[in-house]
Amino acid sequence: MSALNSKPLLRVNHLSVQIGAGRPVDDVSFEIKPGETFALLGESGCGKSMTALAVMRLLPPAARLTAGGVTYGDEELLALTEAEMRAVRGGGIGMIFQEPATSLNPVMSIGRQIEEVLDLHLGLRGGPARQRARELLEAVGLPEAERRLDEYPFQLSGGMKQRAMIAMALAGEPELLIADEPTTALDVTLQAQVLDLLKELQLERGMGMLLITHDLGVVERMADHVGVMYAGQLVEVAPREQFFANPAHPYSRKLFAALPERAGRGQRLATIPGLVPALDVKHTGCRFTPRCSEALDHCGNTLPEWFGMAGAQQVRCHLFDPQQVGLNTVIMSAPTALVEEPRVASSGPLLEVRDLQVHFPIRKGLLQRTVGHVPAVDGISFSLAAGRTLALVGESGCGKTTAGKAILQLIAPTGGSVTLGGQEITGLTGAALQPLRAQAQMVFQDPFSSLNPRLRIGAIIAEGMQALGQTENMAERIAELLEQVGLRADMATRYPHEFSGGQRQRIAIARALAVNPKLLICDEPTSALDVSVQAQIINLLHDLQQKLGLAYLFITHNMAVVDYLADEVAVMYKGRIVEYGSADDVLAHPQHAYTQTLLAAAFSPLRGAA
Amino acid sequence: MKFVLLWSDLLFFLLVAICIGGAWWAYRSPQLAASWRQVGASRSGVAAATVLVCFVLVALLDSVHYRERLPAQPGADAGATVQYAVEVKSALDALLSKQKTNTEKTYSAPLATHLFAKESRADGQGRDYPRLKFGGSHLADPALSEADVRERATFGLIAGLSIWGFLAFVIRRYAQPRAPWFAWNALIWTLAGIVVIVSVVLALMPYYHVFGTDKVGNDVLYLTLKSIRTALMIGTLTTLAMLPAALLLGILAGYKGGWIDDLIQYVYTVLNSIPGVLLIAAAILMMQVVIDAHPEWFATAAERADARLLSLCLIMGITSWTGLCRLLRAETLKLRELEFVQAARAFGVSGFSIMARHILPNVMHIVMISVVMDFSGLVLAEAVLSYVGIGVDPSTISFGTMINAARMELAREPMVWWSLISAFCFMFVLVLAANLFADVVRDAFDPRGRAA
Amino acid sequence: MLTYLIRRFLYALPILIGVNLLTFVLFFVVNTPDDMARMQLGAKRVTPEAIEKWKVERGYDKPLLWNAPAPGTDKVTNTIFFEKSLSMFAFEFGQADDGRDILNEIRTRMGPSLAIAIPVFILGLWSAISFALLLVFFRATYLDFAGVVLCVAMMSISSLFYIIGGQWLISKVWHLVPISGLGSGLDATRFLILPVVISVIGGLGGAARWYRTIFLEESNRDYVRTARAKGLSELAVLFRHVLKNAMIPILTGVVVVIPSLFLGSLLIESFFGIPGLGSYTIDAINAQDFAVVRAMVFIGSVLYIVGLWLTDISYTLVDPRIRLS
Repeated sequence: MSALNSKPLLRVNHLSVQIGAGRPVDDVSFEIKPGETFALLGESGCGKSMTALAVMRLLPPAARLTAGGVTYGDEELLALTEAEMRAVRGGGIGMIFQEPATSLNPVMSIGRQIEEVLDLHLGLRGGPARQRARELLEAVGLPEAERRLDEYPFQLSGGMKQRAMIAMALAGEPELLIADEPTTALDVTLQAQVLDLLKELQLERGMGMLLITHDLGVVERMADHVGVMYAGQLVEVAPREQFFANPAHPYSRKLFAALPERAGRGQRLATIPGLVPALDVKHTGCRFTPRCSEALDHCGNTLPEWFGMAGAQQVRCHLFDPQQVGLNTVIMSAPTALVEEPRVASSGPLLEVRDLQVHFPIRKGLLQRTVGHVPAVDGISFSLAAGRTLALVGESGCGKTTAGKAILQLIAPTGGSVTLGGQEITGLTGAALQPLRAQAQMVFQDPFSSLNPRLRIGAIIAEGMQALGQTENMAERIAELLEQVGLRADMATRYPHEFSGGQRQRIAIARALAVNPKLLICDEPTSALDVSVQAQIINLLHDLQQKLGLAYLFITHNMAVVDYLADEVAVMYKGRIVEYGSADDVLAHPQHAYTQTLLAAAFSPLRGAA
Repeated sequence: MKFVLLWSDLLFFLLVAICIGGAWWAYRSPQLAASWRQVGASRSGVAAATVLVCFVLVALLDSVHYRERLPAQPGADAGATVQYAVEVKSALDALLSKQKTNTEKTYSAPLATHLFAKESRADGQGRDYPRLKFGGSHLADPALSEADVRERATFGLIAGLSIWGFLAFVIRRYAQPRAPWFAWNALIWTLAGIVVIVSVVLALMPYYHVFGTDKVGNDVLYLTLKSIRTALMIGTLTTLAMLPAALLLGILAGYKGGWIDDLIQYVYTVLNSIPGVLLIAAAILMMQVVIDAHPEWFATAAERADARLLSLCLIMGITSWTGLCRLLRAETLKLRELEFVQAARAFGVSGFSIMARHILPNVMHIVMISVVMDFSGLVLAEAVLSYVGIGVDPSTISFGTMINAARMELAREPMVWWSLISAFCFMFVLVLAANLFADVVRDAFDPRGRAA
Repeated sequence: MLTYLIRRFLYALPILIGVNLLTFVLFFVVNTPDDMARMQLGAKRVTPEAIEKWKVERGYDKPLLWNAPAPGTDKVTNTIFFEKSLSMFAFEFGQADDGRDILNEIRTRMGPSLAIAIPVFILGLWSAISFALLLVFFRATYLDFAGVVLCVAMMSISSLFYIIGGQWLISKVWHLVPISGLGSGLDATRFLILPVVISVIGGLGGAARWYRTIFLEESNRDYVRTARAKGLSELAVLFRHVLKNAMIPILTGVVVVIPSLFLGSLLIESFFGIPGLGSYTIDAINAQDFAVVRAMVFIGSVLYIVGLWLTDISYTLVDPRIRLS
């Protein structure tokens, strides 16, 4: 890289941030050269966004910078006055946020929001400003730029909003761009486009970029250097190639191992036991110790120093202490194979969906008459045998969740038929539907809203049994279910807020299993979870299927999970199934153009290597 | 003696019981306990709650009503029916019997020994300020009153300080170690103020009209203390009256949607569209007609005044439930889409159970917040309504009737300021405490506030 | 957008009908005209003839809903419901107990009411928003804390005390302006200053605290962080971004009361002896003049509904999401 020898654009020195007793950022140092991308990688709550806000001096009022420095060019940012700092924000350093839907001012036109920056940092006003804003919108690939200038954020789609956001960040002609999870809120196909755009713009302008992400795929695609953060500390810094060829820190290695695409089908995913430590815990040693499978005796009480490895790779782990010769060659244990039990012999399909339609009415005019329909689900058909997994894949808004709810009659379908265990269930209501409710249950996406915060875990799990009259031995059943999903029986008396996201998802699974269903509809059950936790849940679902012969209708947008779990795949696009077949066929030889785009966009850091 | 349970007493006791039951429930549910703990840890919250508890105690005392047994008629045989006095008294009246019965002729200043206005002397020798019948009547020489007041006040102060010292010691020694998170300091310092003021007043009360007397010679302190019950009744019973309707309709509208939602929204828009004061005025005027048309319904004047108080609560409830109903509807709309409700629906749980098990407990914090937030507004509203003439029965003692009676006194020369000032002080302290408490409760229970 | 506004306008009709029915039930069904007559005449003078005379004078002697003996359309029109309730839609309110035409009275009293209500509204809004912005600008400092305490204390004082205290202090102790009454022309301002100032101060605490909460809520949003990341100064963020978004919730509470300004203020007008609609209403309530109260209820709700409609219009001006969809 040409910029390799030039002076760093941004240098973060031993930066620490304190909130109350907690230290979300603790002694973080790294540097970014012009034209280079440094990726901060970590799971939620590890302090990566806080680091970025600290660089911009935009920390929330409760947070304080307690130590360290940030040098931008030749300036020490922490020593600037607020007025001088304002010139750096937007002028020297631009920033893009995760959620384009809320990060733009809803009542100000896109043009005005961009012109505001132009006025502030370049002194452009009126005609020239508008001209420049239009050029910027064109540069970020927003079609019909002239018209967009006068539009408001709500008139743009998610991807367009993020492009407008990028245009705004670029308007001040910054030398450094901070992108905080710039694509997390976007669909896979859009993610690829936005990342490509960022890369292009970076090359064009020679900008440095601080990229904050939890996604190894994004890192692989974008970064020159990678910094892995865990619980407020950087634990590994390395050039991308070296990081991907040989991740050193046990945490980094586990992150790779937990990716579904790493393990072949029928193998368990590696998981990281335990949880990320709470913010206010005082650490004396390495923070990863309690979850580390290779921890040494002194890991828990001595903070490791940085140890250099080949090239520029550096790692903060005692295993790489040159004095502990021989240990640094530890290699991840190979994934353990799952015992594949013979699948339940299927006697005809368990679930049969024919031409299912859900149309939402559009009301207009004075009397709110129905003038048309939005076909959310527009005639989909598939069948699912007992003990098998069908993945329903598609992007947000394609109707996959609506389809799942319509199958369970949570939303009344407007047409088509759903047969469950040979019985037609569309049109059934009330008591007639009850016996069928026991056969099919649902696991939802958001572990935080899927459990009633006011009920104890036991009561949550008991709800279905009570509603469906399966009240024999309820207490024992609840205990058994909790153990089945990897929790302890005594947790039944606790409340949801005491559990982490992954644990809550286990409880939600136990709740669904309580009525002995044959079919589970899983609506993105892992998309709100961190990679390491996602692996735990996927393993659990896999085990349960083996043991109980469950059929899964797996609704997801994550191709890696599909690849790992599904027997069959149905690809949904705008309310229709555009491709349907066995997982091997569809993933290896996608026929439909949309499936191809989807697969191409779903970059997997290990696809090439595996 | 025969106990009389007025409807408002019953409801008020019921409300106190609900609060105690609610506290027990909150104690058992960890989230609620955590929120209350936050209230308990807040200094302004504890101070405000202490003041409010004192007001509630006064109101409770004033809610134990009875009718005295009249002495048996001489010559009547033992089997004759016992006669009871027509007047309904409360426990507070009994405690303040000196203040209640020893009325003066007209105005007298606080702690005065003489009337405020000159009168012709009994001996016909010009005009003079006559001695009070009660205030300072134990003194042979009224000129000594200043020294006497000082002496008694000092005694009260010392007694108060020692009682406070004892209380503070007990709290520090026994209560504080058990719950170190609680804002005990705030409690102790608030108690200091309350105990000292109360004991000074108590020391002077048997001998003087501490806050003076009003136009017809009633003791102002007595009037002010009696007003507390009315204010608390209005502030709490109104909420109690509107709560069931607001909860039921709000949740129903939000959860069921469709025509039920349209109908409920229509009803509350209609009620909302009539300016509150006018609706209350219209309803009270009509209620007045009903009460006047049926004198046989009420055995005593107290019962009639009580009916009027309750109907005022009810009517204010009807005009004010719409706000809470709308909030609950909006929140239910949000909750309805949440996944735990969807999960319950996937089990075929009935709509009623979902509303009762999943929605109701999750909107209770809104109810809680709006109840405490509304309280102070209602207390203030009572004063205005009573002033306008559509508030409580004119015979009911309330801040509103006191202010109404006193408002022209500032124009007198020399000015009569004490009844207005005492009504002002008590009302200000009550409403301020309620407002501060409401703020703390809202911060503790509103999930939005916690994020900020 | 036009259909939206028309729809909202049509939505008002059933509400007015609802109000009309409600007042009818309240005034004529809960109590019969006989009850009202008895109460008005007082216990002593109640004779059947007196009641009958009282009812005839006011036109309350007709059947409530259905006049069976009357010919033709009179079956419907010659009833209390038609003459007293439905006629309000044509703004015919009949006569007050003192024999004056209510509509006429309302017309002449509107002026003084507005003379107070409009300045109070404008000054009150302006001062509350400025105060709230000031507090938000200094948020999380002692100034903010002191400001909030001041607001809560001001909220805790009954409006009666503001009026009584203000009258006493300014008119009686300092002798600055007259205590009550209303002059004509420019002279009127002398009489109006005090009630306006008192009303503004009386409403300041609650309003400022409420606006502060709205501003704070807005300033915690993501787009505000974006605006700061652009390098905008705190003032620019506050005025250009926060204020404009906060106007949406503020408008909900503010615009709806604008038409009701016509009704004036009950307390202020009666304390200061201003011959507006507020004091008219109070006098009617005290005199138990049912016809006037009924008329004011109806006018009040008409004005409120106009307010709702104005709120909808103002949304379309401020919020592009409504304007453009």
